[in-house]
Order: sequence, then structure tokens, then C-alpha cells
Amino acid sequence: MEAEEKKLSEKESLDLIATMINKAKDSFHDTGIGVIMWGTIVTICSLVRLSEIHFGFRLPFDIYLLTLAAIIPQVFFTIKEKKERKVKSYDDVYMDYLWLGFGICIFLLILIINNIYADLGPLIGDYKELSKGRIDKTDFQFSEFVSPLFLLLYGFPTFVTGAACKFKPMLWGGICCWVCSVIAIYSPVKVDLLLTAASATTAWLIPGILMEKEYRIYKKEQALVNV
Amino acid sequence: MFKDLDPILHSQLRLAVISLLISVKEAEFTFLKEKTNSTAGNLSVQIQKLKEVGYIDVTKQFKDNYPQTICKITHTGIQAFEQYVKDLQTYLGKSIKV
Repeated sequence: MEAEEKKLSEKESLDLIATMINKAKDSFHDTGIGVIMWGTIVTICSLVRLSEIHFGFRLPFDIYLLTLAAIIPQVFFTIKEKKERKVKSYDDVYMDYLWLGFGICIFLLILIINNIYADLGPLIGDYKELSKGRIDKTDFQFSEFVSPLFLLLYGFPTFVTGAACKFKPMLWGGICCWVCSVIAIYSPVKVDLLLTAASATTAWLIPGILMEKEYRIYKKEQALVNV
Repeated sequence: MFKDLDPILHSQLRLAVISLLISVKEAEFTFLKEKTNSTAGNLSVQIQKLKEVGYIDVTKQFKDNYPQTICKITHTGIQAFEQYVKDLQTYLGKSIKV
């Protein structure tokens, strides 16, 4: 745009507005690194826990502590990405609050479940002891009902992000989490863990890889434009 | 009777800047320069004009020891842009969704 005060025709004005709005819309590209990281971590945690149960071994630490450790690189990625961004969209603010809210909900859910289990655990033990030989079904396991709650929660921000950003892989990933949540209600713990791994892969890992691919293409195009 | 188009917005670079800013919360000067393919000098002048009429807010700060200019459309700017689009639609005599 070389002309400083170039006057436009009405048609040219509308075309320019549409072009610029599209250019602005096209400039939001997430690197996808954070999403890939969380997808990978949750998938690994679920599969390792499944292996622990299936093969009867125990790691010296709780594998789910990895999710806590992942908060540090996540904060680092977020700060780095925000610093590099030349433009801030209205969606960014809402998305930040949505995922922060999700993190808080996960933390609260863990707290609530641990408290319920602390109170319910001894009762279940007593019940099983007392009902031996009298009732057929004494294999109630509280942990079987934990996964559906987490999957339910995983689906929500994923679905909203997919819908808001018009990114279908994430939208379907969110739906997949909810479907897995329903299946997990009726399945044993081992299947629940497989469903959790499948949900994390479809909701975050695969969309993250696609996002990263799109980001690299965008960067390449930008580099060519700036040559 | 046709209403006169806003002379501030009815200029290629200023309209391009406002159209970009209407779609985002805020944008850096370098982003606007890149998207409008304009020169830094020309863009500075047009941004100053938009600022003077209160259509945009300009914040100057430092980021990693480099000066950074952030532009943001104001409420007045949004209203002016909406009016401008309405006037254009009147001129063209058809409804166009933006």
C-alpha cells in the first residue's frame, strides 16, 4: 500500500475490508506444542497405569505426578508463545480463562475424589467383608467410577475450543471424550484406562499434531511472503 | 440523499488498519505493517491520524529492550467503522455482511 491517501471506490472499500478481516483471521495459529504435550502425557500415564495393573508391577512413584510436572513446561510455553505473538484476539482471552478453569476443575475433582475415597474406602472394605458369601456382587470398585468423571471434564474445554476456533479435530475429540465417558461407566478399570488413553490421543495429541503442521505451513508461507 | 463517507476511513491504508483492528483485541505495529504491506513511515502517519480522531488507542512500551507499539480500536472507532460500512452498503444499494 504505497499511496498515502489513495481514495477508494465503494466496491474497493468493501473488498479491502473483507480482505483485511480475512487476513486478521488467518493470523491466529497455535503452535500446538502444549496440546501435544498434554495429549502425550495423559496417554502415557494411562497406559503405564494400565501396565501396572495388568502385569502386576508398581513404579516407585505415582505416574500421574507427571501431569503435575508438566505444568512447568506448560507455563514456559504459554509465556513464550504470548511474547512471540504480534496480535491478540478476543478469543485468546476466553480460551485462557476456559483452560485455566479446566485446570482448576481437575484439581478440585482430584481433591473431592480423594476425600470421598478416604471416607468411603474403609466402608467398602467392611461391606465386602460382611457380605462375603451372602451377596453375589461384592466387587464394587470406586476407582471404576473415577475415569468417567475425568473424561467428562476433558471433553468440555476441548469441545468448546474446537467449536470456537472452528477446528473440527478438537471438536470431535471433545465428543470422543464424552462417548468414552459413557462407555467407562459400564467398563472395568483396565478398559477405563484404555479409554482415557484413547480420549487423550483423539482430543489432544492428534489435533495438536495437526495444529503444529498447520503452524509450520503458515510459518513457511510467511517466510516466503517476507522474502 | 447519500451521506458523505467518513473521510478519515475512506482512505486505503487507514481503512485497512481499522479493518484489521476491528477483528482483533490488539495488534503490534509490525503486524499491521506486515498485513498492509505498507512502509513504516506511511503507516506511522496514518496511525497518528486515526489516533488523533480517537478511533484507535496507541500504547508505546518496551519489549526485550526494543520499542513496541500496540494499537487497539476504541469504541468510537468501532462505531465509526460500523457507520462507514452502513454508508457503503447504502451507496452500493445492497446488503453485504461483514
